[in-house]
Amino acid sequence: MNQPDPGSWRRTSPFAILFFLGKLLRDIVKNAWQSFAPIAALLIASSGSIVDRLKIGAVVALIFVIVASVLRYWFFRFRITEDSVLIREGVVKKKQLDIKFDRIQGINTEQNIVYRYLDLVTVSFDTAGSSGDEGNLPAVPRAFAEALRERIGRPLGRTSTTDQEDHGETKSAPLLVLTWRDMIRIGLSDKRVFLILALLSPLLDRLGDEADAVITSYIDSATQGAMQFGVAGGVLVFFAIGIGVILLFALISIAAAFLRYHDFTLHLDGNTLRSRGGLLTRHEVSMDLGKIQTLRLQQGIILRGFKRFVMTARQARSSHRNNSSKNFTIPVVTEELATGLRRRFLKQEGRGLIQLPTSDQFTAISRYSMRMPILINVLIPLLVTAVAYSIEGDRATLLFLLWIPVSLLHIVKTWQHAGYHYTDEGLVRRSGTLGYRTVALLYRKVQRVTVSRSPLQRRKGLATLRVYMASGSVRIPYIDYGFARQLRDVILYEVESSQKAWH
Amino acid sequence: MFQNLEIALDDLPGTEELEWQKLHPDFVRQMQVQHALIALAPLAGATFFSIFLHLPLVPAMILWILAIGFAIVFVSWPRISVPRRGYVVRDKDIVFRSGVIWRSVTAIPYNRIQHVETSNTPLDRKFGVATLQLFTAGGSGGDLKIDGLGAEVAEQLRIYILDKVGVSIESA
Repeated sequence: MNQPDPGSWRRTSPFAILFFLGKLLRDIVKNAWQSFAPIAALLIASSGSIVDRLKIGAVVALIFVIVASVLRYWFFRFRITEDSVLIREGVVKKKQLDIKFDRIQGINTEQNIVYRYLDLVTVSFDTAGSSGDEGNLPAVPRAFAEALRERIGRPLGRTSTTDQEDHGETKSAPLLVLTWRDMIRIGLSDKRVFLILALLSPLLDRLGDEADAVITSYIDSATQGAMQFGVAGGVLVFFAIGIGVILLFALISIAAAFLRYHDFTLHLDGNTLRSRGGLLTRHEVSMDLGKIQTLRLQQGIILRGFKRFVMTARQARSSHRNNSSKNFTIPVVTEELATGLRRRFLKQEGRGLIQLPTSDQFTAISRYSMRMPILINVLIPLLVTAVAYSIEGDRATLLFLLWIPVSLLHIVKTWQHAGYHYTDEGLVRRSGTLGYRTVALLYRKVQRVTVSRSPLQRRKGLATLRVYMASGSVRIPYIDYGFARQLRDVILYEVESSQKAWH
Repeated sequence: MFQNLEIALDDLPGTEELEWQKLHPDFVRQMQVQHALIALAPLAGATFFSIFLHLPLVPAMILWILAIGFAIVFVSWPRISVPRRGYVVRDKDIVFRSGVIWRSVTAIPYNRIQHVETSNTPLDRKFGVATLQLFTAGGSGGDLKIDGLGAEVAEQLRIYILDKVGVSIESA
């Protein structure tokens, strides 16, 4: 029987050792210096050649990691009670975790390739608590995780029989299934591609002289060979190498998209949003619709070309860490689907809220928002160039003035993309420079509101409205002062008269 | 019975015609003492550089003028900034304003407050003031920090707000 059995303390499957092994290795990598210090000490203390020492060190480290994982598994017990999950763990330092069901925002599961054969999953709990501890149940049967999920989703006191008919049997048709084309879209639009490039360039610099020589000689011979075809051929070779590198990174990025989102499906069961996907490790993420604090629609410049968006539902975050696991991300959605999902997520309260950035419903913010950035980005380069030119007298310094048109374009684009749109119950803010980002929120979920004014804003009768949600704040700058006050009062009224829970 | 009455925007209670409560009268002095202690650091730095590093007269003078100028502005700043701060305790929320150059007004509804904290430093106790911090979900650190309340006022406010928070939880 896989029903959570109240009362007894139980161990997870021995395969949980794998989970602890992985966690330990991650911790070691994170705190590399501290973890390697004792090993280094051992290496220095033992006698023999360096290679022997390294061998001994590796063996010792391996034994240590394995023994530690086994011990951690051995001391890990959990228990499901009427209203909470209890976890006892720790080899030297004992720890007891008490996760109350009503604090759990969502249950996520992960299934690596080994667990998939054994039908085991690792459960992690999303809690709204302020403590940094988040519980994990490694290597429990999948059916057990399902039962637990169902049980937690149910308010206390209700029996399971009626619910079973509601949820268990009728699996709703998926709202979204991602195809291989979507993987390519996700892969190509991933900004990390460029980040990797940026990170790799210093590494390439540090390559040994030999490697450098090999590469230069290769390029030399390539260009020399190309010389026979003339300069155009050389340039062509150069570009071919550049394009090759970019293609390679695009491929890596697409492969990463397959790893994370292969077979991605999105379901809405009652009030619970669920996504499943992943090639080797399968991730299952769930979120209660009521827990959504803000709904974000994002479109970078590449996704704009694909006419797709990234949709993120954000939950309340704990005050300590800013972790992204509290977000529910749908990596690619079309315009129609984004609208449909927004309707389902925010329900009646979100009616009339337009979240598509190209809509003409958005009101622009004041042009004065551009004044300070323009002053800074024009005056400072002018000054610097004037000083540099007068000292150096070098015409090349004038190139620095190129900064001005580029930053002006940036400022104007940012202003054009900024905007807001509101209804009686919620508002949407639009921002972005090359792409777009819109954030939708409901007034009744607001935590606090600030209206602030800079000297320029005071002179021009403008203000900045900042709305703090449990998931972060949303800022609408340079709007009419009277309007900001009015909106603030409406929000306060909605919050103070709302009888619904915000979380 | 679910009710959803239409509310005219102009009828909503605004926050502009509020009677802002002032902070404790000794708070300006307390801030000035605090700032004076902080301003000692650049003065000590200037002394160190000019005496122990044998700086020539002109750079030493410039350093001294800068340090003294900073100290004067920094110590007199509370006289300008503290009168700009104020708070209003309303039935459903608490409103706080602050800022001289960038002015802001923050409102926290009681039914969003997670917990309330009062604290005081030794210097605070000397002047009989205290700090009240209100925490809402999702923020980091004190979400609203009101320095320079009278010690008794801070305590009264803490009890009043906790009471309000409790009522809002029960009725929800």
